[in-house]
Parts: sequence; C-alpha cells; structure tokens
Amino acid sequence: MSDTAAPLAATPTFLQKHHFLLRRLHSLSGIVPVGVFVMMHLFTNFQLMVGDYQHEVEFIHSLPALFIIEVTLWGSIGFHAALGLVYTFTGKANVDRYAYQDNWRYTLQRITGILALIFIFLHIATLRWRWGFFGWFTPFFVAGPDGTPLVSATTANALQHSKLVLILYIVGVASVVYHWCNGLWTAAISWGLTITVAAQKRWGYVCATLGLVLAIFSAGSIVGAMTYKVSDAERAAMQAAIERHEQGLAPIEKSSEH
Amino acid sequence: MTATTQETRTILFKIKRQTEPNSAPFWEEYAVPYKENLNIISCLNWIAANPTTTSGVDSTPVAWDCNCLEEVCGACTMVINGRARQSCSALVDTLVKETGADTITLEPMSKFPLVRDLVVNRQRMFKELIRLKAWVPIDGTHALGGGPKESPEAQDTRYALSRCMTCGCCLEACPQFTIDNNFVGAQAISQARYFNMHKTGAVLADERMEELEGPGGITDCGNAQNCVKVCPKEIPLTESIAAIGRQATVHAIKSFFTGKK
Ligand code: SF4
Ligand code: SF4
Ligand code: FES
Repeated sequence: MSDTAAPLAATPTFLQKHHFLLRRLHSLSGIVPVGVFVMMHLFTNFQLMVGDYQHEVEFIHSLPALFIIEVTLWGSIGFHAALGLVYTFTGKANVDRYAYQDNWRYTLQRITGILALIFIFLHIATLRWRWGFFGWFTPFFVAGPDGTPLVSATTANALQHSKLVLILYIVGVASVVYHWCNGLWTAAISWGLTITVAAQKRWGYVCATLGLVLAIFSAGSIVGAMTYKVSDAERAAMQAAIERHEQGLAPIEKSSEH
Repeated sequence: MTATTQETRTILFKIKRQTEPNSAPFWEEYAVPYKENLNIISCLNWIAANPTTTSGVDSTPVAWDCNCLEEVCGACTMVINGRARQSCSALVDTLVKETGADTITLEPMSKFPLVRDLVVNRQRMFKELIRLKAWVPIDGTHALGGGPKESPEAQDTRYALSRCMTCGCCLEACPQFTIDNNFVGAQAISQARYFNMHKTGAVLADERMEELEGPGGITDCGNAQNCVKVCPKEIPLTESIAAIGRQATVHAIKSFFTGKK
C-alpha cells in the first residue's frame, strides 16, 4: 500500500521539466493573443447590426502580414487548447457531491473549453478555410468577382444554413464568452494579482460585467445575421465567388464600394 | 415521517465498509436509538457495542479513528452525508435538520488509501509538508535570541493559517487532488505561505517555491475553491493559494533574470 503521492519518474517528461513555465504560458496565451483577439472579434461582429461591417472586415483583410497574424493566432489557440486538454484530465469533477457555485464555475470552465475548441475549429474551417463538410459548405467572401460586397451576405448565409448550425453558434459563442471571462477571473488568482476574498470579488464583478456586455453584443450579431435578407444580386455574386474559388483562384479582398 | 416518540425514534446509519485495503467495499445499515445532542462518534460507539444490522445480521464493529473529540486533531474525518467533515463535531441534530431525514450515510474519505471501514491513512499530507519544508529551521547550534518581531496584522493572518489540523477535508473536496496524482493540495500550499511569512521560516522560502513551481505544485490548482468551503477551521485557503501564486510569479521572474535554475 502506498501512502504517498505518485512519485515522479527518474527522467522527467518535457511537460514535467517545464511545468511552471508551460502552465503560466498556457494562462498567458489564453489572455494574449487569444482572449484579446476573440474580444475584438466579438465587438467587430456587432457591426453587422450597426456600423460598417463590410468596411471593418476589409480593413482587417488589408492588414499587412495578415498571414503571420493568423498563424500566430492558430498557434496560440492550438497551444492553449492542447495543454488545456491535458490539464482538464488531471482533475476529476465532483459537482455531484460539492455543488458549490464555484465548483460549477470550475467544471464549466473545462466543459466550455472543449466546446469552444470544437466550435472555433468548425467556424474557421467552414468560413475561413472554406471547407465543406457533408453538404455544409458556407464559405466566407469579402466580395464577389464583380466587386459586390459579400461580408454580411456570406456571414448571414453561414448562420442561416440550418438550425443545427445556429445552435452550434449560440452554444459556441456562449462557451467562448464564458471561458474567456472566467479565465480572466481565475488568471488573476493564479498570477497572484487578486489575493484577498474582497479583491477576488471586485475583480469578479469586472469580469462578469465584461461577460454580460460581450454576451449582449454577440447575441446582437447573431440576431443580425439571422435577420439579414440575402438579395438575389448577392446570391449571384456568392455563386460566382464559389465558382472562382473552385477554380483555385484567389478570393477578392476588396469590394467596389470601398 | 410518522410521529415517533423519543423512545422509539431511531437514526438509520448507512455505512460503507471495507475489511481490507484491497477488498471489495459493501454497505451496512444500523438503527441507532435517538438521543439529544448525539454526535457521530457516540453513534459509532453504540454500533460497536451493538453490531447488529437492520436486517438482523450479527456483524463486526465498524472501525473508525478519533482522538481529541473537539475538532482539533483531524483524525476522525470521514465523508458524512456526502461531505467531508469531522465525526466528533458532526451532530446528529444538525445533520437531520440539514437533510430533513433521519438517515445518515458514512463513508471513508476517498482521496487517501483505505485501512479499514472508515479509517484511512492520511500520511500523504504529512509527506507533502515535508516536501515543502513546512517548518522553521532551527538546528540548535547557536543561540537564536528573541523571536522575530511581528506586526499584529501579520499575526492575525498567521494565526488563522496555524489552525490547520491536517484533517484532509480540503483535499477530499478538491477536484484537482486525486488518490493517485501528485498535487500538493490546499493544506500544504497554505502551510508554505504560513512558514514563508515567518521571518526565520522564510530562510527556506526559495526552496519551497522551487518545489511549488514543479509538477503537482501551485499551478495544478484549478481554482474550484471547494477547499475553502469545506475547511472546518475556516482557513482562508484561496487567499493562501493566490498569495503563493504571487510569490511564484515573483520568484520565477527573479530566477529568470538572475540566471538561477
Ligand atoms: S481552489 Fe479548488 S483546485 Fe485549488 S486547491 Fe482549492 S479545491 Fe483544489
Ligand atoms: S486546511 Fe482546513 S480542511 Fe485542510 S487539512 Fe487544514 S484544517 Fe483540514
Ligand atoms: S477526534 Fe479530533 S477532530 Fe474529531
């Protein structure tokens, strides 16, 4: 019978050797760049309802070295997700016995992490990488070959694809918002910024407010995408863009309006 | 519940038993006559004297551990109605009021190796304290003079931390502490903070931090904050975890720039 913790192997694994650094990088990568990017993304989306969504997206697509930014983001998300998955399975949820609010928070952080990962992958794959899954083909285009602005139309088309996709977006975005705001709250404890219970509570109100605002913005964007009426001209331009894409030609990144 | 008189009212105990560390667990039920102000230990005493189950089987006395009987030693800790607590200070009247039923379940803690019935081996907690050097080093080779001066504020904090009785409730409730991993747990983290705050104890602070930055250290806490809710001594465990988190951040940055490790 062993009365001690599991002993470490004689030669520590990579994960064990750089335990602290990796853990803190995992925490940091969730905040910058992933969290900050996601937050900006959720606010930009809202321009679908108010503001010039087309212009905003064209601006982002015109950024120099966009590819490097994207690779950094994918790398960070991949790193955060891979380590997160490893860490998730080091714990054993016990909300059945200890049904405290904080314990639910802890358990939800792990569940929403996995949901967010699945969602983000499907979201990027179908829109950005323009993959088709079993008839689920909703590529995103900035503009049609003739310069018709397509940002709103292709977003709307993606979300209106089916009820299942809509549910995926609602659950996915809610998971992302929760995971980000709760992560921001616990990161302050892990790094030692909020020590006292009072400080943790105050920071908790800040994170909860941020979560609420992001949730309202995201709900607005989803409603905006669902209520957007794709015109016949836009539909034709979308078709043309898809054909162009299938011929292997580069997508148009600027509409004739801007 | 039917109206029962003081004489006939019984409390039904459902007890998870296990004869040997590796044998299969089984459940037994005992009906213990109700009296006012019973605690779980007195019910277990009654069962030890009358080890006959509700189905009339003559069984063996249930094994349990206890010592101080006033919630300062931690030896009697077990899972009562699904929650880890001390059987000496768990009162039948309170438990019945909590659940509204005359039934109480007793289980051994699940995060420590089982010895027999409700007795577990809590040795791992003491080994974690050794791992973190949770003591004030005094080798007796020279006169130390008076103790270090301490502010009333620091004293207040340290007094709260000093009350830990190594009972294991915080670990039993922690989703990150399992029977077979190497997480040090809230109890040891809090003790590291306690000794890092002591002027002489702080001599070992760097060594404590190096251990706490390794596998199973401070970063393995998932901030579920169950520990602080179940701690019978109301030790501010989550504040200790955050304080050690801060010390680890500072220590890691320092060692990065000083080139140590
Ligand atoms: S905060 Fe949660 S994960 Fe951390 S030690 Fe306490 S119970 Fe365990
Ligand atoms: S910190 Fe509290 S719950 Fe944990 S061992 Fe000490 S007294 Fe028990
Ligand atoms: S017997 Fe010491 S805490 Fe219960």
